[in-house]
Amino acid sequence: MRNFEYAQPATASEASRLLADSDDTLALSGGTAAVVLLHLGLLRPSLVVDLGGATEMQGIERPNGGMRVGALTTIRTLETSAAVAVAYPILAEAASQVGSVRVRNAATVGGAVAYGEPQTDVPAALIALGAEVEAQHGDSRRSLPLADFFHGPYETDLAHGEIVSAVSLPAPQARTGGCHAKFTIGSMEHKPVANASAVVTLDADGACLAARVVVGAVGPTPLVAERAASALLGAPIGEANAREAARVAAEDAEPIDDLRGSAWYKRRIVRVLVERAVRRAAERAAA
Amino acid sequence: MRVVGSSPPTLEAEDKVAGRTRYLPDEVVPGMAHAKVLRSPYAHARLVFIDASPARALPGVVCVLTRDEVLADPRVGNLYGYVFRDAPLVAIDRVRYQGDIVAVVVAEDVHTAEEALELIDVEYEELPRLLDAEEAMSPGAPLIHDRMYPIASELHPIEGTNVCHRSTLETGDVERGFAEADAVFEDVYEAPPVQHCALELHAVIADVRDDAMTVRTNCQAPFPLKAELERIFKRPARVIVSYVGGGFGSKSRDRIEAVVAAASNLAKRPVRLVLTQEETFLAGYIRPAFKCWIKTGVTRDGIITARSYRFITDAGAYAITGARSANNTVKVAAGPYRIPNAFVECFAVYTNKPPSAPYRGLPTTQHTMAYETQMDRIADELGIDRVEIRKRNLLKDGDIHITGDLIRSSHVAECLDGAVAALSGPAPAGDEQTLRGRGFGCTIKYTLTPPQPSVESEAAVELGADGRFEVRAATVNIGQGSDTTMAQIAAEALGVGLEQMRVVHSDTALVPPDSSTTASRSTYHMGNAVLDAATRLRAEVLEVASGLLEEEPDALRLDGDGVRLASAPERRVALDELVAANGAPLLQYGQCEVGGEYVDEQGKRYPVASTFWTFAAAGAEVEVSRETGQITLSRVSCAVNVGRAVNPVSVHKQIEGGLGMELGPTLFERLVWDGDGQLLTSSLLDYPLPTMSTMPRYETALVEPGFPGGPYGAKGMGEVGSVVLPAAVLNAVYDATGVRFHSVPLHPEAVLRALEEAGEAANG
Repeated sequence: MRNFEYAQPATASEASRLLADSDDTLALSGGTAAVVLLHLGLLRPSLVVDLGGATEMQGIERPNGGMRVGALTTIRTLETSAAVAVAYPILAEAASQVGSVRVRNAATVGGAVAYGEPQTDVPAALIALGAEVEAQHGDSRRSLPLADFFHGPYETDLAHGEIVSAVSLPAPQARTGGCHAKFTIGSMEHKPVANASAVVTLDADGACLAARVVVGAVGPTPLVAERAASALLGAPIGEANAREAARVAAEDAEPIDDLRGSAWYKRRIVRVLVERAVRRAAERAAA
Repeated sequence: MRVVGSSPPTLEAEDKVAGRTRYLPDEVVPGMAHAKVLRSPYAHARLVFIDASPARALPGVVCVLTRDEVLADPRVGNLYGYVFRDAPLVAIDRVRYQGDIVAVVVAEDVHTAEEALELIDVEYEELPRLLDAEEAMSPGAPLIHDRMYPIASELHPIEGTNVCHRSTLETGDVERGFAEADAVFEDVYEAPPVQHCALELHAVIADVRDDAMTVRTNCQAPFPLKAELERIFKRPARVIVSYVGGGFGSKSRDRIEAVVAAASNLAKRPVRLVLTQEETFLAGYIRPAFKCWIKTGVTRDGIITARSYRFITDAGAYAITGARSANNTVKVAAGPYRIPNAFVECFAVYTNKPPSAPYRGLPTTQHTMAYETQMDRIADELGIDRVEIRKRNLLKDGDIHITGDLIRSSHVAECLDGAVAALSGPAPAGDEQTLRGRGFGCTIKYTLTPPQPSVESEAAVELGADGRFEVRAATVNIGQGSDTTMAQIAAEALGVGLEQMRVVHSDTALVPPDSSTTASRSTYHMGNAVLDAATRLRAEVLEVASGLLEEEPDALRLDGDGVRLASAPERRVALDELVAANGAPLLQYGQCEVGGEYVDEQGKRYPVASTFWTFAAAGAEVEVSRETGQITLSRVSCAVNVGRAVNPVSVHKQIEGGLGMELGPTLFERLVWDGDGQLLTSSLLDYPLPTMSTMPRYETALVEPGFPGGPYGAKGMGEVGSVVLPAAVLNAVYDATGVRFHSVPLHPEAVLRALEEAGEAANG
């Protein structure tokens, strides 16, 4: 790790300005990724801006029946919050599968989103829930769908000096269920071979009214599996259409060969995870 | 017995739990500077040019050690190694693996040192690289070393090749044995390299002065290191080892102590180096790649008539210890069986990979994987029960091992029964998603044994002015609880309680010599030395008390904090008074001599290839996912003949620790290099380790017949817990799936592919 200047501004707008003012900066949130990258020498900023002092980015609010999660909210808070558990259980489920408790105590929602890593669990679940991301540049803010936010591995829509200040979720729908499933080799804490998030809404007769399926770690960004979702619409979710959704999700995935497995194997895992996530989501929606 | 056989908490447990124990990376020495190592980016290259002057000019840099400084100092030798002297302190003319040491920067702080590394101007000329041992053995392969540098007499390099060691062991007539067999089985097994990943990183603080040197390190062999430093630096050395957070062989013979000492010698002040986890992957000592060919002849009844066994280990770029580790396991490579005709051939081969180190019994684990999974195949194909076929062949007391040793106190069948019984209950049934099965295996493990009689461990026990006893033993307290074990043995011999004891460990200025904390040797060797010293001290204490109480020593009893007259306990002298009356503390030394021959009651002589053999068996119950190929260990059993457990809880936990560690290389750990010799698994981000989420339920059992010659019947067991696990798991996976695997790790993808191929074959 190289020496660097360190600042901990008290507001998001000041943090954004500090980041905008020089070229060679790093925004630090929970540090679970940033500190590793600094340590490995992969990042060598001259200035590290610690967002932790901007307390306005903490906390969970419930505007209009939805939820606004401040960027500094820890993954552990998502996992353990009663409000999250009631309104968006899939988010708590995805949060509970991130790293270890020590990692979840430090890592933040804003960091997980802004880092743009295609393997992480929480962004996949957030996209499945239809989340919007709120980005702040100086004093101005904008919102965009999280599904459009990721451009590639570790590449996002954030402009120079812009930070993620919050993530917002639409109000939960009736007869809706979700499931996040993940597969790792070795310990649970290791990077996944693949993950899958599914959120489905059923009509009064039990037919699938709406579905969103997202797969992670098998493409440059978390991928919205649109054909998989379409395969579920208009009928009750059972073995046949869940399998078909899993099959097309695996076909549409864009995995690469790496240490965690070949592209062939990752597609197999996507099939297993999507089928499992979709069926469990449907069971939960019906319950 | 009062103290031996009980399980008091380890002496340092409270301090460790409270975070008070100081490990070497916590230590600060006045005036200390910080080192960083420049490592080779290439697997094999000529070092054409090196200029460190831009780095030296960076403010905060104290000095830079390159080949020029090493070669210029007549008081510093430039080659390191105990059994093979082939590792330069820094690269002289060549680098031989990615991560090889090119230069060392010393600076006022770590960050400056790191920055200076990039200012060193180096020109390399790449050379052909050899990443595979078999390829490196092939005729015409480029040579990684121009000549061979063996030190230990048991090592036999083949000059003009990359084979740094070849040895054989032969008994009977193998060809005749195969001719007598009703069936012959041949298999090939492989295992990739893995890293030990000790929790505490390797660290050194060296302070080299003109007339003496002090090196603080977390190594496993302080006295051999002292001798090696004195040879290289031609001045007296003191080596201090505090508590160590695990080594498993990776800290047994590393060269970084000598490298940091050379940096301190140049800087003329204390220098500290702490390796990062990434450096440990890149350059740390590793369990080497392994491959073996096993051929076994058996009768229709499953009796082994002959076995030939050939294995190759990848010694890496420097054979500092790897060649000897491989050679040592020749003695156990054919297994814990009566084999009338055996031929074992061992190769250790230089490659452009990191130097290899022992790894918790290396490579006994891989030998066991080979002979025990083949044993199941033999049993199945002959239609004999898998446990029964082993019992027909297992070594019994009075048998002669392939080394010529007389087998004594083996009880390996009891171990096997114990491992099987621990997993009793109805055989686990599979279902639509999950296949289930059980497997077992046995093993035999050696300990480091000199060819000629020699004193390998010494200890001292002193009764001090405060009336307490101090045990001085060089055994490194590496997490195994050795201080407590030694204190228990001394307390038992003295007849006092554990609260009367304190232990000083592994500072070469304060304790008598010992060869190393490796090879499961401490409880036996150091335990015997402590027992000897404590027995002598007890006699001396009674002798002094005899003068004070005016009674015969035989009539006296040492217990608690004083010496009493056995017939009239009110007549006593307190221990502190006894020391005061004596005018000085009472100090006695003890030792453990091993090696040479064993002579039985009839006067018959046998060689001693291993001072003791440790026998063990393990079992595994697995679940295999049909969907993903993922293997989960639900239960693991292990039964070990430990002779006698000095501290049973410590022994059980050490067996569990070994099983938990070996679970990684069995199921998912492996180091991977690309074709250019660049390490891909270069950090914990890409190298999964077992955690609590992967742990099975453990059922461990101890077999305690008492081992003649061991302290209170104890013998070593530190490594054997892990040794059988891969064999047991491979056998369990076959039991579950009907697919025989011949390598580890059982990566889920490989398992899934094999299951599908087997399914297609069955349907096709």
